[in-house]
Amino acid sequence: MNNIKLAWKNLWRNRRRTLITAASVFFAVFFALFFRSLQLGSYDHMYKNAIESYSGYLQIQQEDWWNDKTIDNSFRYTDSLNERILDDKNVTGTIPRFESFALASSGPNTKGVMVLGIDPEKEQRLSKVKDKKVKFLLTAKAVEKICEDENLPQKTRDMADKVEGNAYSTVDRFLSDLSLDPGRRDEFLPILESYAGFQNGAIQKGEPGAWIGSGLSDYMELDIGDTLVLISQGYHGTTAAGKYEVKGLIKQPTPELDNKVVYLPVDIARQLFNADGMLTSIALDLKNTDDKAIRETSIRLSKVIPGSTRMIDWREMNEIMIQQMEADNKSGMIMIGILYLVIAFGVFGTVLMMTAERKREFGVLVAIGMQKTKLASIISLEMLYIGLLGILGGMLVGAIGITIGVSNPIVFKGEMALIFEEYGMEPKLVFAGVGTYFLWQSFIVGLMVLISIVHPVRKILGLEVVNALRA
Amino acid sequence: MKRNSFLMQLLLIVLSFNLNGQEPTAKQIIEKADDKFTGEKSSVSVMSMTIVRPAWERTVEFKSWTEGSEKSLTLITGPASEKGQSFLKRGNEMWSWNPSISRLIKLPPSMMSQGWMGSDYSNDDILKESSIVRDYHHKIVGEETLEGRLCYKIRLEAKENAAVIWGHQVRWIDKEDFIFLKAEMYDVEGYLIRTELAGDVQLMDGRKIPTRIELIPEEEEGHKTILKIREIRFNEDIPDSFFSQQNMKRVRS
Repeated sequence: MNNIKLAWKNLWRNRRRTLITAASVFFAVFFALFFRSLQLGSYDHMYKNAIESYSGYLQIQQEDWWNDKTIDNSFRYTDSLNERILDDKNVTGTIPRFESFALASSGPNTKGVMVLGIDPEKEQRLSKVKDKKVKFLLTAKAVEKICEDENLPQKTRDMADKVEGNAYSTVDRFLSDLSLDPGRRDEFLPILESYAGFQNGAIQKGEPGAWIGSGLSDYMELDIGDTLVLISQGYHGTTAAGKYEVKGLIKQPTPELDNKVVYLPVDIARQLFNADGMLTSIALDLKNTDDKAIRETSIRLSKVIPGSTRMIDWREMNEIMIQQMEADNKSGMIMIGILYLVIAFGVFGTVLMMTAERKREFGVLVAIGMQKTKLASIISLEMLYIGLLGILGGMLVGAIGITIGVSNPIVFKGEMALIFEEYGMEPKLVFAGVGTYFLWQSFIVGLMVLISIVHPVRKILGLEVVNALRA
Repeated sequence: MKRNSFLMQLLLIVLSFNLNGQEPTAKQIIEKADDKFTGEKSSVSVMSMTIVRPAWERTVEFKSWTEGSEKSLTLITGPASEKGQSFLKRGNEMWSWNPSISRLIKLPPSMMSQGWMGSDYSNDDILKESSIVRDYHHKIVGEETLEGRLCYKIRLEAKENAAVIWGHQVRWIDKEDFIFLKAEMYDVEGYLIRTELAGDVQLMDGRKIPTRIELIPEEEEGHKTILKIREIRFNEDIPDSFFSQQNMKRVRS
């Protein structure tokens, strides 16, 4: 009991030394947590993006489709098959898809495009295409009007010029790109809407209408109401050709997709490719999406689906992404390892100095009769206090910072956003919430503190009083 | 003079006798066989093409008008989903007309290696300008019997600077009627790329021709394309304006 009290008092005898040592531990914990949170957060975000924005957690495909995506590798889809799938207790919805590629043409422009035959209503369960419809389009004319309107803030008018041609599916992104204060949203939004607002039509069963990516519309010079011609090879080598009215524009976050995507109603896409009744995949909407549930659902369903089809889960569909992230994860761990190394030497350095500084003090204490073991245990306790102080402080501040970060992800806009988008990423840094990784980081830093205790303990146990007193 | 012309006649008779008596050279055989296909002024034909794949097969029917080797127009007559498409070839350019999109498309070079109507015939095969007479050295390498017909077996070696895609070909030509019955195409490295088999020799509009041609690509297991000639008429007068972009949209079978 005495030891504990003594150690605590000792700490505050030299406040500055204590605080510096504690601070080095504190920063070690804080930065390690911060980086880890960002890293884990971005993985999680990318997984969610990839899975929930398109592939889903589980799909049914013709067995060869995944490796050879030609429409000859499609399968027959019937109502009874659909019912059998929906009978599964973990399946809440089926999302039918017919995917292929085509040459798109309009006037003198042609481009290779990806044709996605979808059911817009069912797609709401997964990729939510409807929510990605363009709400604002900064055409040259819209930009001109914004620049001329003197009621709008100067900053907005300046920004408008720089983002000309951009399309937006969310109000937030639109306003932030135009540097408009969210607080004055109600005041200016109606004005901006009248200049740059954009109206889309619907695509539906039986009607030859198309939604196209906003990048594609820009490249092909296609507006709502224009005709898009698609040419390709259909099922079993037939000629596929059709013309479709552009009904709406879709803003896909990744430019790669935005520049080449064409959505058709699924039955119209099948007609185009002469593949009535066929699908290339069915994505499933699941109630429970943890790994075990997905595995069990997959096993259950593989018994009811036709022989030529198979189940494929998100891990297989996102293999490359998972590998990339694993590699990134490893490099992140190395970075944190280096961080630890630097900090470990920092902590150890402070301890070394402290031991040297207090050599005379130790000598005096031992000379007046204090047991070396007792002294060593007091010093150890001191070190533990400092470690605990730093770790707990780092965890506390880290937790607060990360919690704020989780609800306020760092969103880039303008030029920075474009750089992210060019790499196919959302211009957003997301934090992972407080989790088990907290314990690991703290444990490792704690271990570092314990190791650095060894030095003063050894010094004290091997202390020669005469030499120490002369120090 | 009289004596002169008599001598000339005699000379001609002797010469022609000589020619008949001697084995023709490889080049002459190829020339004669090639004439069976390209020697006519024009032709109008009705054909069907069956595309065979490991898992499925389908048949496309079409009618084709050709004049020389330069001009041709092809109209798809079946199946219903593809009916009405037409293809025009003039020289080494090709256009396609698709009624469902009302678009006339000039086939870009990038599409040349693709199969015509999904078959094993590439667009390039249809357009290619090379001549088996001019672009190859010919050599008789033997005789073989195919479908009960005695054939010359002739090896065609591509000339150094000829614009051809094959390294060499081996062709089997019927000795009696000078009809190509089989051909093997090899690439520059000497690998067999495709085999063509001709059969069902019939009398069509006064000429003996094979009415069934099978194309078997070597690299793809279970793939082949079978072309059948249902009707053919030779040397009909076709006006030049028939082979025009305007006519592609109008032409009916």
